[in-house]
Amino acid sequence: MTDRDTRNAPQSQERRRLLAGLGVAGVAMATGNALAAPSPAKVTEAPHSDRTQERNAWIGEHQPGVVTPRPTAGMFVSFDVLAQDQQDLERLFRTLDQRIRFLMTGGPVPQVDPKLPPVDSGILGPVVTPDNLTITVSVGESLFDERFGLSSAKPKRLSRMLGFPNDALEAERCHGDLGLQFCSNAPDTNIHALRDIIKNLPDLLYVRWKQEGSVPPQAPRKAAEPEQSARNFLGFRDGSANPDSSDAALMNQLVWVQRGDEPAWAIDGTYQVVRIIRNLVERWDRTPLQEQESIFGRKKASGAPMDGQRETDVPNYAKDPEGKLTRLDAHIRLANPRTAASQPNLILRRPFNYSSGVNKNGQLDMGLLFICYQADLEKGFITVQNRLNGEPLEEYIKPVGGGYFFALPGVKNDHDFIGRSLLDAAKPIKTA
Amino acid sequence: MNKTRLALLLTLAPLLANAAVDPLTLVQPVSDYKIYVTEKVDQLVSDTEQFTNAVKKGDLARAKALYATTRVNYEAVEPIAELFSDLDAAIDSRVDDHEKGVEADDFTGFHRLEYALFDKNTTDGQGPIADKLIADVKDLQGRIATLTFPPEKVVGGAAALLEEVAATKVSGEEDRYSHTDLYDFQGNIDGAQKIFELFRTHLESQDKAFVAKVDKNFATVNTLLAKYKTKDGGFQSYDKVAERDRKAMVGPVNTLAEDLSTLRGKLGLN
Repeated sequence: MTDRDTRNAPQSQERRRLLAGLGVAGVAMATGNALAAPSPAKVTEAPHSDRTQERNAWIGEHQPGVVTPRPTAGMFVSFDVLAQDQQDLERLFRTLDQRIRFLMTGGPVPQVDPKLPPVDSGILGPVVTPDNLTITVSVGESLFDERFGLSSAKPKRLSRMLGFPNDALEAERCHGDLGLQFCSNAPDTNIHALRDIIKNLPDLLYVRWKQEGSVPPQAPRKAAEPEQSARNFLGFRDGSANPDSSDAALMNQLVWVQRGDEPAWAIDGTYQVVRIIRNLVERWDRTPLQEQESIFGRKKASGAPMDGQRETDVPNYAKDPEGKLTRLDAHIRLANPRTAASQPNLILRRPFNYSSGVNKNGQLDMGLLFICYQADLEKGFITVQNRLNGEPLEEYIKPVGGGYFFALPGVKNDHDFIGRSLLDAAKPIKTA
Repeated sequence: MNKTRLALLLTLAPLLANAAVDPLTLVQPVSDYKIYVTEKVDQLVSDTEQFTNAVKKGDLARAKALYATTRVNYEAVEPIAELFSDLDAAIDSRVDDHEKGVEADDFTGFHRLEYALFDKNTTDGQGPIADKLIADVKDLQGRIATLTFPPEKVVGGAAALLEEVAATKVSGEEDRYSHTDLYDFQGNIDGAQKIFELFRTHLESQDKAFVAKVDKNFATVNTLLAKYKTKDGGFQSYDKVAERDRKAMVGPVNTLAEDLSTLRGKLGLN
């Protein structure tokens, strides 16, 4: 399985790029009507997808799921690690590696004596489809406590998330020793992967919290027009000013940890921030459009900045020093002032919309599963969020959970496994 | 027991064809299990008499003291007790099993009394609930006496008990008013371990490593539980259990649940 994995990797990525154009149409068909169907569709007919064989490479300098194009379905799960010692921790990472290889590759599920519980949940059928799945493994600050001899190996800027002034953090939805980000073409694919991992690691992982989300598919791009970002649950395009994830040099600068003052094992890893940001949508929907737009600093319909025509237009704040067009405290202006000094604060966002249920007051519990990546947590998210503190948008959003994690470097080859460089950096534990 | 053994033989006969384990050798452990359950239920009946008498006499302190030790015998034999779903609901349902919560007419049994004793701090008006509980427990005793134990339910009971622990004991939801969850926890574990012991020789002949792994996880859980034992042989309040220890229980409990879920298959039972 592993040999095939590497050999197929570039090929399947190529295939995925080829399919990318088609893919949008595929999704539109899958979720929309059945125009192309030769006979009238039945109620119970499943939506169709020609993308279930899309496959991402697990082996690589960096982990997948960071600069990989964001698919429809996302899920973040935080765990407490129950390992008792370093051997257990190694078994955890080796087992994770083995399961992720299988899940991202797909293939038939081993059949066992029907008198025994099946080894797989079966929700993707007897042959698991990769369905564009990526699983990204990250570790939280708490893994670097006294348990595993890792305290001296902690990435320099990894800290326990502290509440910002507008946060109302719920303890049971915060932090964690280990994080897994699942992204794929369908929520069921992510859930299948999660259940596989839980079943295979009952003694080593305890689910602490979980949040699922989605990205609404966009209509196919018109010729000679730039890609448009998906909308969040406030109805605004989200991700407009994201740095170009296909620019490897830029990613090395902004996202991937380089040689420097970080521990050597952490090179090619990245800081991951996860925030569950509730949107107070009823109140937002009762807010005048012009106020919504001035709060964000973008036009709602097009996503263009206040002084532009298209989403990709770059606002010229130098021409608007008093904030007559774009308020000085507009969300996008605070988040990214577009100055030379603010360039090192750029972060790579990878958010998903979430909808979870209803609050006690009868208001919808929905918002943004915000995920972002950066090479420097302090220069990145923490600086950006500190600039945003007190912004007018705060009246409509309430961060309730999340945490800071460090996404591990990629698995370099078939003999490597996820987390190996971290484990190698551990100090022997003195037995009392 | 002769009648039971004959009935069992008949139940097991269709399995004789091809099985890793000779089904006839399962007869003895299943009979032994019935003895175990019968003894536990006899104890449950006599303890419940005392408990419900205390409630009816208005002896709040004594009723509170007897609550946890009385129901532990029910927890130990839950795989069999649950076969009678009407009684199980009447004896052991929790408040969140009822849409109307504590106001629900059919919220009866141990947890309804627990609510009165520990949350409302009273025995007032609990006479009818106490009367019904003792009647239900005696009914259970009678039904178990005439029951032919299905071997797959006996063997499967070990895993079922661990599922109980994983689903409601670790979270402290079982005894939310009295916080006596550790008694139930131990009851479930003891019940599962009893079943495992009865089939130990069968399992050892197949897979020694499996038996050793299960032994190790039982030992881990029992050691953690022992930390919270009190001098009188009882347990501390679940509030007192450190977060760290609660989480430390999850690993071995979930692993036991996974491993014990293979017992039926390992013993060739459907």
